[in-house]
Amino acid sequence: MMQTITQAVVFPGLLYALIWAVGLFWFFRKFMATLHKRVGPKFNGIAGSYQTLFDFSKLLTKESITPDGVNPYLFSIMPPLALIIAMLPSAFIPWSDGFIVVGSDYGLLALVVLIGIEPFLLFLTGFGSNNKYSFLGGVRILTQSISMETSFFLAALSPGLLFGTMNLTSIVESSTWFSFLILLPGFILYFIALLGLLEQPPFNIPDAEQEIVYGFYTEYSGTNYFLLKIAEFAEFMAVFAGATTLFLGAYKGLLFDSYFFFFIKMILIAMFMMTLRAATPRITMAQMLRFSWKYMVPITLINLAWVLLAKSLFFMGA
Amino acid sequence: MQSIKDILNSFDCEFVEDYKKVWVKAKLNSKDDLLSVAKKLKENGLRSLSTVSPTDFLEDNIMEINYFFEDLDTKRNLWLKLDLPRESETCNIESLTPIFPSANWHEREAYSMFGVDFLNHPDLRDIIKSEDFTGKSPFRKDFDWEAHEKDNLTNVQTIVDAFKKEQAENEVDLDTDSSETILNWGPTHPASGPIRLRVHCDGEDIIGIDPDIGYVWRALEHLITKKDFIGAIVSVERLCFMDNINSMTAYAMAVEEIADVKITPFASWMRVLLGEVARVSSHFMGLGMFFNNMGLHTLAMWNMDTREFFLDFLESYSGARIATASVEPGGVRYGLDMAMFNELQLAIEKFDSSIGEVEAIFVKNPTMKLRAVDVGVLSAQEIHEFGLSGIVARASGVKTDIRIDEPYAAYAELDLDYIIQKDGSAKDRFEMLFHELKQSVNIIKKAKKKIEENVASGEMNPTKDHMVKVPKKLPKGEAISRVEWARGEVLMHLVTQEKAKTPYRLKIRAPSFNHTMMLDHLLQGQTLSDIPLIFGSLYICQGDLDR
Repeated sequence: MMQTITQAVVFPGLLYALIWAVGLFWFFRKFMATLHKRVGPKFNGIAGSYQTLFDFSKLLTKESITPDGVNPYLFSIMPPLALIIAMLPSAFIPWSDGFIVVGSDYGLLALVVLIGIEPFLLFLTGFGSNNKYSFLGGVRILTQSISMETSFFLAALSPGLLFGTMNLTSIVESSTWFSFLILLPGFILYFIALLGLLEQPPFNIPDAEQEIVYGFYTEYSGTNYFLLKIAEFAEFMAVFAGATTLFLGAYKGLLFDSYFFFFIKMILIAMFMMTLRAATPRITMAQMLRFSWKYMVPITLINLAWVLLAKSLFFMGA
Repeated sequence: MQSIKDILNSFDCEFVEDYKKVWVKAKLNSKDDLLSVAKKLKENGLRSLSTVSPTDFLEDNIMEINYFFEDLDTKRNLWLKLDLPRESETCNIESLTPIFPSANWHEREAYSMFGVDFLNHPDLRDIIKSEDFTGKSPFRKDFDWEAHEKDNLTNVQTIVDAFKKEQAENEVDLDTDSSETILNWGPTHPASGPIRLRVHCDGEDIIGIDPDIGYVWRALEHLITKKDFIGAIVSVERLCFMDNINSMTAYAMAVEEIADVKITPFASWMRVLLGEVARVSSHFMGLGMFFNNMGLHTLAMWNMDTREFFLDFLESYSGARIATASVEPGGVRYGLDMAMFNELQLAIEKFDSSIGEVEAIFVKNPTMKLRAVDVGVLSAQEIHEFGLSGIVARASGVKTDIRIDEPYAAYAELDLDYIIQKDGSAKDRFEMLFHELKQSVNIIKKAKKKIEENVASGEMNPTKDHMVKVPKKLPKGEAISRVEWARGEVLMHLVTQEKAKTPYRLKIRAPSFNHTMMLDHLLQGQTLSDIPLIFGSLYICQGDLDR
């Protein structure tokens, strides 16, 4: 009982998600600033590290405005729900050797489903905002998630197919440098689909501020906005952790195995994502749809075929 | 030129004469002739109507209308004048919009500000001015501004009521079963600036756009008539903060023409130098905004980094980074300390060292090309018809650049070439900005070298030559001047009365006004994602849009 509460509240639960969100937000700012030839947060704390903390605490204490004419229950229930759903995948991730909250034989399935459900919650936030821009954002997020999740699921399933298990711990344990090479195309596809799922450039279409005023975020302020932001960063964590677990061997390190390597791998993915963000403009909805259905989905299917072939070539004998 | 004069001579004209090198100036006696003259002129090749500028002569009881026709190809221009009665019942004239589409908004502006009625205009609504001016003509000389300002609270209430009424009614006509809606894109939109586009759309598809402008209307053209000739420069430069110097140059040239003053070579080279620095700082912003509108802020940040160095030079020269007030009638406002060129040299070096990576990462960006290569396409034909200028015109392959067509300051001594692109798409306009940026820095280098050489040889005295005295009182007269502003052609029409201490009338023809007119045309049938992209590519500044 005590252990469950600790896991839910401290690690890998709420507190961990909060610290991760604050830390990643600060890191994003600093990293982005370097790419922009700026300084970034500077004055509060070491290298401006308190700035994000202050920003978040400011948002927490600000009045959360519920606009006229919206359904207040739908409007206010969605942000906490989005946060909870975004934090849930952490329970299925093998954070270090032997540490996993819910060790399930269907961990991969749970991970994929929990990640995939998040955009639908965000669609409902847009739907419940009674704002044209938010509604457009909601429709966009729905369109994008349907198109991108197909390839996301197919790419995420390739390790399961290769190792013949959906147990995440077994997937990590069976992974080797060689299996990494076989899964490399799958990893690249997973990463591209991840950009679409997390609404990162060039797929930041649903919350395009220049087009539809941040889409589903438009009407949110104060605590609700804070919750949505934390949910976004918890989602980052879930997807990065998923990529690390499925393709990069999770906590496996060079000399010793530890959470440290898990963290480093996640940060590397984050840095790569930020670099793309600093050099890629947004594409349009039509271009995204074309890209997704014309190229991504067929290629992920081919990738599955490749994984099956590789399995029969190299793994069947064992 | 002769053929224009022949056309005009076949009608009843008070005078037809040459004006400057590339202009014909004429006055029609009868307003009934206007339509047939306009048709003939268009057949003759004068396809663009630059602007329509009424001048209100209260004492003579005359509303004089000035039409400025241009031919961007052969560089022949016509300044056509016409007298109308002032009384609002009879102050009307045939609209030229059916013949010259570029007249559309200019006639609406004349209608809003001066109460001139344009017959057969397709869409004669108020523009720029706010709803509390409805039915009033604020730029007429007998308009009582003080009385109007007294009811400030009522005025604000009128504006609020009108907005609420519009919001309540604007979707009434739409089919309730359809997914059509009206979106307000602006005035507090992350990418809009102070402008509002009423976007009539069906889901993501745009059906039509009706720009609502005037959110930063400062009535500059009226404000200037309240200042003396030198004080007016601070109003003129507020046309747009991004390129403030070239607009002052245009105004100063008009005053100098009326005062019959010739400025020193040093001052004209300084005008070139300062003007190009301002152009560089403006183009840097434009390049950055283009990518900002696609959700990528890196280029804007990088550009800011380099732009600061150029602003450093402006600051050391004038004391201000943005609103420099550094060009005034008679020359340039301050003498030059040659040590200031060190800062300019730093800026040039910074530019040279960083422009390569901008080109590699952003100008050749494949995702940008994917977005921008097919949208916002303007043909050369449309450039002529809608009187577009600057980078927008040149991106479509039209060779127009006032610096070459009608050289001012010291541009005649520079060997300039037209920089053009072919296809006229959003991408071409972006590349135009980039290439012109490099051209401007080259001009800066040449002008700097020229000044340094002449100062070294003693031909120029940087502390004394900057200014020629311009009398405080000017004779009765009028003049027009054109400059190549960062966004396109700025035409100023200055009118003075006998022993004038203040301008009687200054019409500023600003390029963004024409460019914004194109939004509806360019965006019909596109999607919402294209609004910021095309809007950004037209290089619009709300300052000169509203004035």
